[in-house]
Amino acid sequence: MTTQIKLHDCAKTFADGTRALAPFDLEITGGETVVLLGPSGCGKTTILRMIAGLEFPDAGGKITFDGDDVTRQSIEKRRVGMVFQSYALFPNMSVAQNVAYGLKVHGVGRDERDARVTAMLEMMHIDMLADRAIDQLSGGQRQRVALARAIAVQPRVLLLDEPLTALDAKLRVRLRTEINGLLRKLGITAVYVTHDQEEAMALGDRIVVMQKGKIAQIGTPREIYRKPQSPFVADFVGAANRLDGQMHDGRLHIGERVFDAVDAFDPRHGDIIDQGPVELYFRADGLSTCEAGDADFTGRVEAVSYLGERLRLTVSGIGSMPVIVDTHPDDVISAGTPVHCRVNADRLTVFPAVAVNS
Amino acid sequence: MSLMQNIKEGRSRPSFLSPVLARVFGQATPGAGSPAILLLLITPGLVIVAAFFLIPMALVAMRVADGPDGWATYFVILTNGRYFASLVQTLVMSAGVTFCALVLCGICGLFLVRNRFAGRNMITALLTLPLSFPGTVVGFMVIMLAGRQGAIGSMTNALFDEKLVFAYNISGLFIGYLYFSIPRVILAVMASAQKLDPQLEEAARSLGAPTWRVVKDVILPGLMPGLISSGAICFATAMGAFGTAFTLATDIDVLPMVIYTEFTRNANVAVAASLSIALGAMTWAFLASVRYFAGNSGDVAARGGA
Repeated sequence: MTTQIKLHDCAKTFADGTRALAPFDLEITGGETVVLLGPSGCGKTTILRMIAGLEFPDAGGKITFDGDDVTRQSIEKRRVGMVFQSYALFPNMSVAQNVAYGLKVHGVGRDERDARVTAMLEMMHIDMLADRAIDQLSGGQRQRVALARAIAVQPRVLLLDEPLTALDAKLRVRLRTEINGLLRKLGITAVYVTHDQEEAMALGDRIVVMQKGKIAQIGTPREIYRKPQSPFVADFVGAANRLDGQMHDGRLHIGERVFDAVDAFDPRHGDIIDQGPVELYFRADGLSTCEAGDADFTGRVEAVSYLGERLRLTVSGIGSMPVIVDTHPDDVISAGTPVHCRVNADRLTVFPAVAVNS
Repeated sequence: MSLMQNIKEGRSRPSFLSPVLARVFGQATPGAGSPAILLLLITPGLVIVAAFFLIPMALVAMRVADGPDGWATYFVILTNGRYFASLVQTLVMSAGVTFCALVLCGICGLFLVRNRFAGRNMITALLTLPLSFPGTVVGFMVIMLAGRQGAIGSMTNALFDEKLVFAYNISGLFIGYLYFSIPRVILAVMASAQKLDPQLEEAARSLGAPTWRVVKDVILPGLMPGLISSGAICFATAMGAFGTAFTLATDIDVLPMVIYTEFTRNANVAVAASLSIALGAMTWAFLASVRYFAGNSGDVAARGGA
C-alpha cells in the first residue's frame, strides 16, 4: 500500500514577510522517490517540511495524502517518517529504544515491538548495535539507526532531509546505494532533499530542481541531465562550460565555425530557435582534444589536474570564460601549452541568449 | 635551583612523589605534565584548603567530644527531639525550595529561550537580579512584602478585614529562599535549553508523540544536566543559608539558626560543633550522590527509558 501525495497551489510566506516559496503544484505517485534538488535557500527543505506537517502552506494551498486533506493536520497525525542530516537520535535512549520509540508511542505491545525492532535492525545491518548508546556510534551507524527508527512505524511517506551530507565521501556513496535498495524494497513513497546532483540522479525516480523558491524543472534524471530547460538547471546539474553563439537559418555559428544538426529550442515556448544570439551550455564532453587539422578552436592550457580515469584541462581562449576539457589520462600535457579542440555539437544545450533564469 | 631547572627543562626528577602524583593527576605524557610543575601548581590550593578548611574543621570536630555526653554528642542531632525536628524541617524546606525553583525556572527558562519578544532581555535581567542581594536584604524584602506592615498584609486587611502575615515563619523563609534560588536555576536552565536540538522534538513528533511525551522523552532529558547541577546548588544553599533566616528570625527553627543560638546564646560549643559537622556532612553527602547519579544519568535514563 503506497501513498500518493498531492500539493496544490502551495506557497509559503514566513512571518517576517519573506517569500520562501511561490505557489506551486506537485504530484508524487505512490511508491515513487522524488528528489528535491537545489542550492541552499531554494525552498526545497520548506517543501519537505510542508509535506511533513512542520510548516503549513499559505491560505489557499492544499496537501492531500491519497485524497485525504492533511493541509492543517499536524505532524503527529500524518504518519510520516523523517530522517535528518543531524540524525536527531534520542541521546538518552539506546539504539533499540530509539527504533522502538515510535512503536511504543503508537501502543504496540511489547512482544510485537521487540520483534519489529529486531527485524528493522537486521534489515539495516545494525542488529549487533542494539544495546549501544548513541554516542558510541559512528555517523554512518547513526544514520542507519535513524532510518530504522523512521520506517519501523510503517509511515505513509518517508522524508529525508540531506541525510548523507554529514558523512564522508566514501560512506556517502555506500549508504546512498543502501538507501536506494531500501526504497525499492519497501516500495514506499519517499521525498529526498539534497543539493548534490549525483545523489539526486542516483536515487530519484524524478528530480525536482528548485531555484529561488520556484520549481525550475521536474523530470527523470535522464531528462534533467540531457535536456535541461534553463541555463540554471544546466549549470546546476554539472554543465559548467558556457560559450556564446549565433543561430543563422537553423545553423549554429560559434565564432568563425558553423555547425549543422544542433537541437536548439526555446524551453519557454518549445519553439525551434532559427535566428538570434544563443548561449551554449555543455559538460567536459562537449569539447575534445584533437589534431590541429581537425580543430574547431585552439586554446591555451591554464591548468591540468590528473583525476585518475581522466586528465582534466582548464582551457582559455575559446570563449570569454575558461572551459573544462577532459582527455585521456595517459596524455602528457602541461600548463601553458596550446591545445586543439573539436566541438561535439550533439553534446551542446542551446538556450536563447535572453536569460530564462526564472 | 634544581626544581627550577626541572621546570625549565620540563623533565621530571625521579622522586618518591612521582608515583603518587601520577596516580592523583592521571598518567601524563612524559615531559608534558612534569610532577614538579603539577606540585607547584597545586600547592597554593592545598595550603588554602588546609589553613581555612581542614584545620578549622578538625578543631570543630574535636570540640564535639568536650560535650556533656562525650563522643555521643556526635549523634545529638538524631537523639535529641528538638534538633532532629529542626533537621527534618531544614531538609523539607530545602527540598521544597529546590523543587519549586526547578519547576518555576524550568518553565520560565524554556519559554524565554524559545520565544523572542520585546522586553525579553528585561525579564531575564529582572529574574537574575536577586544574585546581587545578600540574604539579609532578601529577608528585609520578605518583611516588606509579608510582614506586619507589609504590602500583602495591608491588602488583605483592606479586602477581608484580616491581616495576612507570613514573613516571620518558615513560609517567609521559603519565599525568601525561592527568590534567592531563581537566578541560579534559571541561568542553568536557559543554558541547557539553548543546547536542545529542535530536530529531536520534530523527530519525536514525526513518530507520533503528543506534546506531553515530547516533554517527558526529549525536553526533560535534555534539560536534566542543568536541572541536576543547579538543583544541587540550590539545595545546598538553602540548607546552609543564614542571613535571610536571621533577618526574619523569631519563629524559625532551621539548623543554621539552631547552631547560631547554641553557639552564641547558650555557649553550648560542643552541640553547636556537632550540629555543624552533621549539617556539613549531610549536604556534602547529598551533593556527592547527585554528582554520582548525574555522572551516570545517561545510563540511568537509558535503562529507565523504555
